[in-house]
Amino acid sequence: MEFSNSCSSFSSSSLDSTKPSPSESSVNLSLSLTFPSTSPQREARQDWPPIKSRLRDTLKGRRLLRRRDDTSLFVKVYMEGVPIGRKLDLCAFSGYESLLENLSHMFDTPIICGKRDRKHHVLTYEDKDGDWMMVGDIPWDMFLETVRRLKITRPERY
Amino acid sequence: MALRLPSKVLKHILSFIDSNEDRNSVSLVCKSWFETERKTRKRVFVGNCYAVTPAAVARRFPEMRSLTLKGKPHFADYNLVPDGWGGYACPWIEAMAAKSPSLEEIRLKRMVVTDECLERIAASFKDFKVLVLTSCEGFSTDGIAAIASTCRNLRVLELRECIVEDLGGDWLSYFPETSTSLVSLDFSCLDSEVKISDLERLVSRSPNLKSLKLNPAVTLDGLVSILRRAPQLTELGTGSFAAELKPEAFTKLSKAFSNCKQLQSLSGLWDVLPEYLPALYSVCPGLTSLNLSYATVRMPDLVELLRRCSKLQKLWVMDLIEDKGLEAVASYCKELRELRVFPSEPDLDATNIPVTEQGLVYVSKGCRKLESVLYFCVQFTNAALITIARKRPNLKCFRLCVIEPFAPDYKTNEPLDKGFKAIAEGCKDLRRLSVSGLLSDKAFKYIGKHAKKVRMLSIAFAGDSDLMLHHLLSGCQSLKKLEIRDCPFGDTALLENAAKLETMRSLWMSSCFVSFGACKLLSQKMPRLNVEVIDEHPPKTRPESSPVERIYIYRTVAGPRMDTPEFVWTLHKNPEIGVSKLAIK
Repeated sequence: MEFSNSCSSFSSSSLDSTKPSPSESSVNLSLSLTFPSTSPQREARQDWPPIKSRLRDTLKGRRLLRRRDDTSLFVKVYMEGVPIGRKLDLCAFSGYESLLENLSHMFDTPIICGKRDRKHHVLTYEDKDGDWMMVGDIPWDMFLETVRRLKITRPERY
Repeated sequence: MALRLPSKVLKHILSFIDSNEDRNSVSLVCKSWFETERKTRKRVFVGNCYAVTPAAVARRFPEMRSLTLKGKPHFADYNLVPDGWGGYACPWIEAMAAKSPSLEEIRLKRMVVTDECLERIAASFKDFKVLVLTSCEGFSTDGIAAIASTCRNLRVLELRECIVEDLGGDWLSYFPETSTSLVSLDFSCLDSEVKISDLERLVSRSPNLKSLKLNPAVTLDGLVSILRRAPQLTELGTGSFAAELKPEAFTKLSKAFSNCKQLQSLSGLWDVLPEYLPALYSVCPGLTSLNLSYATVRMPDLVELLRRCSKLQKLWVMDLIEDKGLEAVASYCKELRELRVFPSEPDLDATNIPVTEQGLVYVSKGCRKLESVLYFCVQFTNAALITIARKRPNLKCFRLCVIEPFAPDYKTNEPLDKGFKAIAEGCKDLRRLSVSGLLSDKAFKYIGKHAKKVRMLSIAFAGDSDLMLHHLLSGCQSLKKLEIRDCPFGDTALLENAAKLETMRSLWMSSCFVSFGACKLLSQKMPRLNVEVIDEHPPKTRPESSPVERIYIYRTVAGPRMDTPEFVWTLHKNPEIGVSKLAIK
């Protein structure tokens, strides 16, 4: 039985890199579901995973509390092009140098601060205003107050 | 001459039949059985408040003493149903106030309840005893005060996860000054403080109180004081456990708990500091139900607590328990029947994986009575699902939520088809199933074929095509509720299986590929279904072929509903819009 389906009216968004192509079904759909891919820019959704509002709100509140705790500061780290990220406790580092050293070890490639260029992996961070900034511009303590997450960019290609 | 059972005899026989499913069967035998049954039914259950009119229910069951109603579809719990959709309790209360003044119990789930409604309940039912509101909204603490003050024989007042406009803790002082008949009180969803002295006095004058669930605003000191006055409690929901740890405070708490020798169920425990957990050790051996879903406690402390809970039947916990903690549960909690593991980090990018499929495998192997599972984790494997199915064929409810959508078996990179096939085939008594992870149409072929007793099925981010929906609607003999989100289903499967929808309570589909044209066609074809298109963009402005945001279809004998908001389209609302031709085989 042939099932046809038109989904041309849906706008295409980029496909999730972890989702394989459609298997042996008779329909070849280009799925452009509304669910965003595993990029770090993904916003917190209110409807997934399926937990009730009370639990969701409680957990959100807890995350804010934990930020103010002096003993640890966990942030997520992504390398561009790699869907699975890592988590890092920034309080474990004394400064930018030890952070870079550790990250380079974690991702098995040299990572630097500074401007994007053709050769290097460069570390950037998202601050509390949601802007992506170069790591290393501000004093380490201030950095700890404002950093939300980290992204390691790939060397630029031409 | 045909043998006829005298109605007196039938009446007597029916007095032993409590199950509404059985009573529904009885009422189908013949007219006289229908009549006798309806005149003797005391507990009435209406699974969809729009499936039948309040007047019809009141008319049919003149001896009704207890009414249970459900309103919004289940996915409303996860913010998928816009505010204002419906599910109003008022018309029901009005009808019952007029026709069934002897009503004693009202249980509402996912409905909109106003203060006026609550005041009406208080004023209309002289012997009102039980009010349970689950996931309801629309009322304030004023409404609660009305119930408390007017219903002199009130036994049960439970507000479970409701959204209440909290105007302060005064409502607690409205209970009768003389002794109350309260057996159960649950105000855990309220935010504001209640006066501890009011609570103490209430507890002291409620000798029958067995179940008490406090809100987070009640402090540890308050808890101690309450426990001293109510050592007979069998169910307790604590307030907040966050307090500076002082040795005397700990001792007092410990002593208070150790005096509660009948405690079987414990919940609340908001912000519990691990240092306070030992205060609970004395009640652990007697606990059958433990809800730690708000307790961010690490694995070692959890294990220390759980290894003392040998009688535990129901455990709700955060994934901070880790696989290791679940291994401990498997060895200490041999009576476990229900396990729920919630995500502590619901962010989709979560990479800290406290539990994996291994945790659930441990429990499936070690807890022979396990029959109900809700499990959140980041990834799973077919092998694990196959093991779980083999070890626990007695599963009745299996809800797996792999948080990463489309996540395949992370060891083989295949879809989880084989795993869910094993579950559907192996767990022959499965009544409720939620699937997740990467699933192809094949998985649903298996589920359609083998999941013969599944009544409720939840699906998200799955399947390849319409075949998936076709498999489900043409199979799944016992299917009553199907809820689907973000799956590539379209019109064909829906229209071809339209007749199936009349055998089900409801179908919900959101962010799928159902076109507006198909919705209209279905509406026209099936007059005994209400087809609701719930869309923020008015369908009139979109082409027939464009997908609608949400569709909610349910069988009804009440006809189209009259209380739809603007964003809900039904055929009744816009009958002048003709039905377009669709190219369907």
